[in-house]
Amino acid sequence: MFDRLGGSLERYMDLLSVRQKLVASNIANSDTPGFRTRDIDFQAEYQGALDSHLPRTEEVLGLKTKNDGNNVSIDREARLLSENALRFNLAAQLMKSQVRDIRNAIQEGKAG
Amino acid sequence: MSLFSAISVSASGMEAQRTRAELLVENLANAETTRTPEGGPYRRKDAIFETQAPEKPFHSVFAAQLQQQNQGVAVSEITVDMREPEKRYQPGHPDADVDGYVAMPRINPAEDMVDLIGASRTYQANVAAISAVKDMIQRSIDLFR
Amino acid sequence: MIAPISSHIALPALAPVAGATAGSGQDFQNLLASSIAGVEQRQTDAKTAVNSFLTGETEELHTAALAGQRAELSLELFLQVRNKVVQAYQEVMRMQM
Repeated sequence: MFDRLGGSLERYMDLLSVRQKLVASNIANSDTPGFRTRDIDFQAEYQGALDSHLPRTEEVLGLKTKNDGNNVSIDREARLLSENALRFNLAAQLMKSQVRDIRNAIQEGKAG
Repeated sequence: MSLFSAISVSASGMEAQRTRAELLVENLANAETTRTPEGGPYRRKDAIFETQAPEKPFHSVFAAQLQQQNQGVAVSEITVDMREPEKRYQPGHPDADVDGYVAMPRINPAEDMVDLIGASRTYQANVAAISAVKDMIQRSIDLFR
Repeated sequence: MIAPISSHIALPALAPVAGATAGSGQDFQNLLASSIAGVEQRQTDAKTAVNSFLTGETEELHTAALAGQRAELSLELFLQVRNKVVQAYQEVMRMQM
Protein backbone atom coordinates (compact mmCIF):
# COMPACT_ATOMS: atom_id res chain seq x y z
CA MET A 1 0.00 0.00 0.00
CA PHE A 2 2.82 2.40 0.70
CA ASP A 3 4.98 1.43 -2.23
CA ARG A 4 3.71 4.35 -4.22
CA LEU A 5 4.32 6.79 -1.37
CA GLY A 6 6.17 9.68 -2.93
CA GLY A 7 6.94 7.61 -6.01
CA SER A 8 7.33 10.41 -8.49
CA LEU A 9 8.84 12.70 -5.87
CA GLU A 10 11.50 10.10 -5.23
CA ARG A 11 12.28 9.88 -8.94
CA TYR A 12 12.46 13.69 -9.00
CA MET A 13 14.98 13.66 -6.16
CA ASP A 14 16.96 10.87 -7.85
CA LEU A 15 17.27 12.92 -11.02
CA LEU A 16 18.20 16.07 -9.14
CA SER A 17 20.96 14.15 -7.36
CA VAL A 18 22.36 12.89 -10.63
CA ARG A 19 22.19 16.35 -12.11
CA GLN A 20 23.89 17.97 -9.13
CA LYS A 21 26.73 15.46 -9.28
CA LEU A 22 27.26 16.42 -12.91
CA VAL A 23 27.23 20.11 -12.01
CA ALA A 24 29.91 19.51 -9.37
CA SER A 25 31.91 17.61 -11.95
CA ASN A 26 31.54 20.42 -14.50
CA ILE A 27 32.62 23.05 -11.98
CA ALA A 28 35.65 21.03 -10.87
CA ASN A 29 36.71 20.69 -14.51
CA SER A 30 35.99 24.25 -15.60
CA ASP A 31 39.67 24.71 -16.44
CA THR A 32 40.47 21.24 -17.72
CA PRO A 33 41.54 21.41 -21.36
CA GLY A 34 39.12 19.67 -23.71
CA PHE A 35 36.49 19.01 -21.06
CA ARG A 36 32.89 19.19 -22.29
CA THR A 37 29.94 20.14 -20.07
CA ARG A 38 27.71 17.20 -19.24
CA ASP A 39 24.06 17.13 -18.17
CA ILE A 40 20.93 15.00 -18.31
CA ASP A 41 17.69 15.76 -20.15
CA PHE A 42 15.77 16.29 -16.93
CA GLN A 43 12.27 16.68 -18.38
CA ALA A 44 12.58 13.68 -20.64
CA GLU A 45 13.91 11.46 -17.87
CA TYR A 46 11.21 12.61 -15.44
CA GLN A 47 8.33 12.25 -17.91
CA GLY A 48 9.64 8.91 -19.08
CA ALA A 49 8.82 5.65 -17.33
CA LEU A 50 9.33 5.97 -13.59
CA ASP A 51 11.88 3.19 -13.56
CA SER A 52 15.04 3.42 -11.56
CA HIS A 53 17.46 3.19 -14.44
CA LEU A 54 20.38 5.53 -14.57
CA PRO A 55 19.51 8.54 -16.71
CA ARG A 56 21.48 9.11 -19.86
CA THR A 57 24.28 11.65 -19.64
CA GLU A 58 24.78 13.81 -22.66
CA GLU A 59 26.98 16.65 -23.80
CA VAL A 60 25.39 20.09 -23.58
CA LEU A 61 25.08 21.90 -26.88
CA GLY A 62 25.33 25.59 -27.59
CA LEU A 63 28.04 26.49 -25.11
CA LYS A 64 30.95 28.68 -26.03
CA THR A 65 34.20 26.81 -26.33
CA LYS A 66 37.45 28.28 -25.10
CA ASN A 67 40.78 27.95 -26.87
CA ASP A 68 41.71 24.82 -24.98
CA GLY A 69 38.51 23.00 -25.98
CA ASN A 70 36.81 23.48 -22.62
CA ASN A 71 33.19 24.68 -22.79
CA VAL A 72 32.19 24.93 -19.13
CA SER A 73 30.28 28.07 -18.22
CA ILE A 74 30.64 28.84 -14.52
CA ASP A 75 27.55 31.04 -14.70
CA ARG A 76 25.43 28.20 -16.04
CA GLU A 77 26.75 25.74 -13.48
CA ALA A 78 26.31 28.17 -10.59
CA ARG A 79 22.71 28.77 -11.61
CA LEU A 80 21.99 25.04 -11.86
CA LEU A 81 23.72 24.44 -8.53
CA SER A 82 21.24 26.71 -6.73
CA GLU A 83 18.25 25.49 -8.70
CA ASN A 84 18.91 21.82 -8.09
CA ALA A 85 19.51 22.35 -4.39
CA LEU A 86 16.31 24.36 -3.96
CA ARG A 87 14.20 21.86 -5.88
CA PHE A 88 15.68 18.98 -3.94
CA ASN A 89 14.85 20.69 -0.67
CA LEU A 90 11.33 21.41 -1.85
CA ALA A 91 10.81 17.78 -2.81
CA ALA A 92 12.13 16.63 0.55
CA GLN A 93 9.71 18.98 2.31
CA LEU A 94 6.77 17.72 0.25
CA MET A 95 7.79 14.20 1.01
CA LYS A 96 7.90 14.88 4.72
CA SER A 97 4.43 16.42 4.53
CA GLN A 98 3.09 13.36 2.78
CA VAL A 99 4.52 11.07 5.41
CA ARG A 100 3.18 13.28 8.18
CA ASP A 101 -0.31 13.36 6.65
CA ILE A 102 -0.45 9.62 6.31
CA ARG A 103 0.83 9.14 9.82
CA ASN A 104 -1.87 11.49 11.11
CA ALA A 105 -4.51 9.59 9.19
CA ILE A 106 -3.35 6.36 10.73
CA GLN A 107 -3.33 7.86 14.20
CA GLU A 108 -6.78 9.36 13.68
CA GLY A 109 -8.17 5.90 13.54
CA LYS A 110 -6.93 5.35 17.10
CA ALA A 111 -9.48 7.68 18.63
CA GLY A 112 -12.36 6.31 16.55
CA MET B 1 27.51 6.61 -6.08
CA SER B 2 25.72 8.87 -3.75
CA LEU B 3 25.92 12.61 -3.37
CA PHE B 4 28.94 12.11 -1.14
CA SER B 5 31.10 11.48 -4.16
CA ALA B 6 30.15 14.93 -5.47
CA ILE B 7 31.88 16.40 -2.42
CA SER B 8 35.09 14.58 -3.36
CA VAL B 9 34.77 15.96 -6.87
CA SER B 10 34.42 19.55 -5.64
CA ALA B 11 37.25 19.05 -3.16
CA SER B 12 39.52 17.96 -5.99
CA GLY B 13 38.49 21.10 -7.86
CA MET B 14 39.47 23.25 -4.90
CA GLU B 15 42.83 21.58 -4.62
CA ALA B 16 43.57 21.97 -8.32
CA GLN B 17 42.65 25.66 -8.30
CA ARG B 18 44.80 26.21 -5.23
CA THR B 19 47.80 24.73 -6.98
CA ARG B 20 47.05 26.85 -10.02
CA ALA B 21 46.77 29.98 -7.86
CA GLU B 22 50.04 29.19 -6.07
CA LEU B 23 51.86 28.90 -9.38
CA LEU B 24 50.34 32.13 -10.66
CA VAL B 25 51.39 33.94 -7.50
CA GLU B 26 54.89 32.54 -7.87
CA ASN B 27 54.99 33.73 -11.47
CA LEU B 28 53.79 37.19 -10.51
CA ALA B 29 56.26 37.49 -7.65
CA ASN B 30 59.10 36.51 -9.99
CA ALA B 31 58.09 38.58 -12.99
CA GLU B 32 61.33 40.51 -12.74
CA THR B 33 63.63 37.80 -11.39
CA THR B 34 66.79 37.64 -13.50
CA ARG B 35 68.80 35.35 -11.28
CA THR B 36 67.84 31.83 -10.22
CA PRO B 37 69.78 28.98 -8.58
CA GLU B 38 69.44 27.00 -11.83
CA GLY B 39 70.99 29.89 -13.70
CA GLY B 40 69.25 32.37 -15.93
CA PRO B 41 66.00 34.24 -15.36
CA TYR B 42 62.91 32.79 -13.73
CA ARG B 43 60.89 30.52 -16.02
CA ARG B 44 57.13 30.60 -15.57
CA LYS B 45 55.33 27.51 -14.31
CA ASP B 46 51.87 26.36 -15.35
CA ALA B 47 49.62 23.61 -14.04
CA ILE B 48 48.11 21.13 -16.48
CA PHE B 49 44.65 19.93 -15.44
CA GLU B 50 43.30 16.51 -16.19
CA THR B 51 40.07 14.73 -15.23
CA GLN B 52 40.41 12.16 -12.51
CA ALA B 53 38.05 9.66 -10.90
CA PRO B 54 36.87 11.00 -7.54
CA GLU B 55 37.65 9.31 -4.28
CA LYS B 56 34.51 7.47 -3.40
CA PRO B 57 33.63 6.94 0.23
CA PHE B 58 31.90 3.61 0.84
CA HIS B 59 33.39 2.39 -2.40
CA SER B 60 32.21 -0.93 -3.70
CA VAL B 61 33.21 -3.17 -6.56
CA PHE B 62 29.76 -2.82 -8.02
CA ALA B 63 29.96 0.94 -8.10
CA ALA B 64 33.34 0.81 -9.82
CA GLN B 65 31.81 -1.08 -12.68
CA LEU B 66 29.21 1.56 -13.36
CA GLN B 67 29.98 3.95 -16.12
CA GLN B 68 32.02 6.74 -14.67
CA GLN B 69 29.72 9.72 -14.89
CA ASN B 70 31.35 12.11 -12.54
CA GLN B 71 34.91 13.18 -12.75
CA GLY B 72 37.07 15.19 -10.47
CA VAL B 73 40.19 17.01 -11.56
CA ALA B 74 43.86 16.77 -10.75
CA VAL B 75 47.05 18.56 -11.71
CA SER B 76 48.72 16.03 -13.96
CA GLU B 77 51.94 17.95 -14.31
CA ILE B 78 53.54 21.31 -13.78
CA THR B 79 55.21 22.57 -16.91
CA VAL B 80 58.13 24.92 -16.90
CA ASP B 81 58.34 27.38 -19.75
CA MET B 82 61.52 26.41 -21.57
CA ARG B 83 61.27 29.00 -24.33
CA GLU B 84 63.99 31.52 -24.90
CA PRO B 85 63.78 34.22 -22.25
CA GLU B 86 62.86 37.73 -23.30
CA LYS B 87 65.70 40.13 -23.88
CA ARG B 88 65.38 43.59 -22.52
CA TYR B 89 67.82 46.33 -23.27
CA GLN B 90 69.23 47.52 -19.93
CA PRO B 91 72.98 48.10 -20.15
CA GLY B 92 73.37 49.22 -16.55
CA HIS B 93 71.86 46.05 -15.13
CA PRO B 94 74.25 43.72 -13.23
CA ASP B 95 72.98 40.74 -15.25
CA ALA B 96 73.28 42.44 -18.62
CA ASP B 97 75.27 40.58 -21.25
CA VAL B 98 77.99 42.10 -23.40
CA ASP B 99 75.45 43.78 -25.66
CA GLY B 100 73.59 45.29 -22.74
CA TYR B 101 70.62 42.92 -22.89
CA VAL B 102 69.16 41.31 -19.81
CA ALA B 103 67.35 37.95 -20.00
CA MET B 104 63.90 38.48 -18.44
CA PRO B 105 61.18 36.02 -17.52
CA ARG B 106 58.42 35.59 -20.08
CA ILE B 107 55.67 36.70 -17.78
CA ASN B 108 52.79 39.00 -18.57
CA PRO B 109 51.62 40.16 -15.13
CA ALA B 110 48.30 41.42 -16.44
CA GLU B 111 47.48 38.01 -17.88
CA ASP B 112 48.44 36.20 -14.72
CA MET B 113 46.41 38.60 -12.59
CA VAL B 114 43.35 37.84 -14.67
CA ASP B 115 44.04 34.12 -14.38
CA LEU B 116 44.42 34.50 -10.65
CA ILE B 117 41.01 36.12 -10.41
CA GLY B 118 39.62 33.29 -12.49
CA ALA B 119 41.22 30.69 -10.23
CA SER B 120 39.77 32.41 -7.19
CA ARG B 121 36.31 32.51 -8.76
CA THR B 122 36.41 28.85 -9.70
CA TYR B 123 37.71 27.96 -6.26
CA GLN B 124 34.72 29.70 -4.76
CA ALA B 125 32.38 27.94 -7.17
CA ASN B 126 33.74 24.60 -5.93
CA VAL B 127 33.21 25.71 -2.34
CA ALA B 128 29.63 26.68 -3.18
CA ALA B 129 29.08 23.27 -4.76
CA ILE B 130 30.19 21.49 -1.60
CA SER B 131 27.88 23.69 0.43
CA ALA B 132 24.88 22.98 -1.80
CA VAL B 133 25.50 19.23 -1.84
CA LYS B 134 26.01 19.16 1.91
CA ASP B 135 22.61 20.81 2.31
CA MET B 136 20.97 18.23 0.09
CA ILE B 137 22.54 15.41 2.09
CA GLN B 138 21.32 17.04 5.30
CA ARG B 139 17.78 17.19 3.90
CA SER B 140 18.03 13.51 3.05
CA ILE B 141 19.06 12.77 6.61
CA ASP B 142 16.02 14.75 7.80
CA LEU B 143 13.80 12.37 5.86
CA PHE B 144 14.71 9.66 8.33
CA ARG B 145 12.86 11.46 11.08
CA MET C 1 -14.56 -19.77 30.28
CA ILE C 2 -13.06 -17.07 28.13
CA ALA C 3 -9.43 -17.58 27.33
CA PRO C 4 -7.20 -14.60 28.08
CA ILE C 5 -6.75 -12.39 25.04
CA SER C 6 -2.97 -12.63 24.94
CA SER C 7 -3.03 -16.27 23.97
CA HIS C 8 -5.01 -15.40 20.86
CA ILE C 9 -3.42 -12.16 19.86
CA ALA C 10 0.08 -12.95 18.66
CA LEU C 11 1.34 -11.04 15.67
CA PRO C 12 1.57 -13.89 13.18
CA ALA C 13 -1.48 -15.72 14.49
CA LEU C 14 -4.31 -13.30 13.91
CA ALA C 15 -6.53 -15.73 12.02
CA PRO C 16 -8.48 -16.88 15.10
CA VAL C 17 -9.25 -13.29 16.07
CA ALA C 18 -10.43 -12.51 12.58
CA GLY C 19 -12.79 -15.44 12.75
CA ALA C 20 -14.19 -14.23 16.08
CA THR C 21 -15.31 -10.82 14.81
CA ALA C 22 -18.72 -10.71 13.28
CA GLY C 23 -18.85 -10.37 9.53
CA SER C 24 -16.59 -11.21 6.59
CA GLY C 25 -14.18 -13.51 8.37
CA GLN C 26 -12.50 -15.00 5.33
CA ASP C 27 -11.88 -11.70 3.54
CA PHE C 28 -10.60 -10.09 6.68
CA GLN C 29 -8.24 -12.96 7.27
CA ASN C 30 -6.77 -12.54 3.83
CA LEU C 31 -6.47 -8.81 4.28
CA LEU C 32 -4.53 -9.25 7.48
CA ALA C 33 -2.35 -11.98 6.04
CA SER C 34 -1.36 -9.84 3.10
CA SER C 35 -0.82 -6.87 5.40
CA ILE C 36 1.62 -8.89 7.45
CA ALA C 37 3.44 -9.94 4.31
CA GLY C 38 3.51 -6.32 3.20
CA VAL C 39 4.97 -5.13 6.50
CA GLU C 40 7.68 -7.77 6.39
CA GLN C 41 8.51 -6.98 2.79
CA ARG C 42 8.90 -3.29 3.55
CA GLN C 43 11.11 -3.97 6.54
CA THR C 44 13.31 -6.04 4.25
CA ASP C 45 13.29 -3.36 1.56
CA ALA C 46 14.33 -0.74 4.09
CA LYS C 47 17.22 -2.86 5.34
CA THR C 48 18.34 -3.56 1.79
CA ALA C 49 18.19 0.11 0.88
CA VAL C 50 20.27 1.15 3.88
CA ASN C 51 22.83 -1.59 3.23
CA SER C 52 22.99 -0.61 -0.38
CA PHE C 53 23.79 2.94 0.62
CA LEU C 54 26.41 1.90 3.17
CA THR C 55 28.27 -0.38 0.78
CA GLY C 56 28.43 2.42 -1.75
CA GLU C 57 26.20 0.98 -4.44
CA THR C 58 23.78 3.08 -6.40
CA GLU C 59 21.43 4.01 -3.60
CA GLU C 60 21.18 7.62 -2.61
CA LEU C 61 20.60 8.43 1.03
CA HIS C 62 17.11 9.75 0.36
CA THR C 63 16.15 6.42 -1.22
CA ALA C 64 17.09 4.59 1.96
CA ALA C 65 15.26 7.21 4.06
CA LEU C 66 12.07 6.84 2.05
CA ALA C 67 12.20 3.06 2.20
CA GLY C 68 12.54 3.42 5.95
CA GLN C 69 9.53 5.73 6.16
CA ARG C 70 7.43 3.33 4.11
CA ALA C 71 8.39 0.50 6.42
CA GLU C 72 7.53 2.56 9.49
CA LEU C 73 4.15 3.68 8.16
CA SER C 74 3.35 0.18 7.05
CA LEU C 75 4.05 -1.14 10.51
CA GLU C 76 2.12 1.67 12.19
CA LEU C 77 -0.93 1.05 10.05
CA PHE C 78 -0.71 -2.63 10.76
CA LEU C 79 -0.51 -2.04 14.49
CA GLN C 80 -3.51 0.27 14.43
CA VAL C 81 -5.55 -2.24 12.47
CA ARG C 82 -4.52 -4.93 14.90
CA ASN C 83 -5.56 -2.76 17.82
CA LYS C 84 -8.94 -2.18 16.22
CA VAL C 85 -9.37 -5.88 15.71
CA VAL C 86 -8.49 -6.54 19.35
CA GLN C 87 -10.97 -3.88 20.45
CA ALA C 88 -13.71 -5.39 18.33
CA TYR C 89 -12.92 -8.82 19.70
CA GLN C 90 -13.09 -7.54 23.23
CA GLU C 91 -16.44 -5.91 22.56
CA VAL C 92 -17.83 -9.05 21.08
CA MET C 93 -16.56 -11.03 24.05
CA ARG C 94 -18.22 -8.54 26.41
CA MET C 95 -21.50 -8.85 24.54
CA GLN C 96 -21.54 -12.60 24.85
CA MET C 97 -21.46 -12.29 28.58
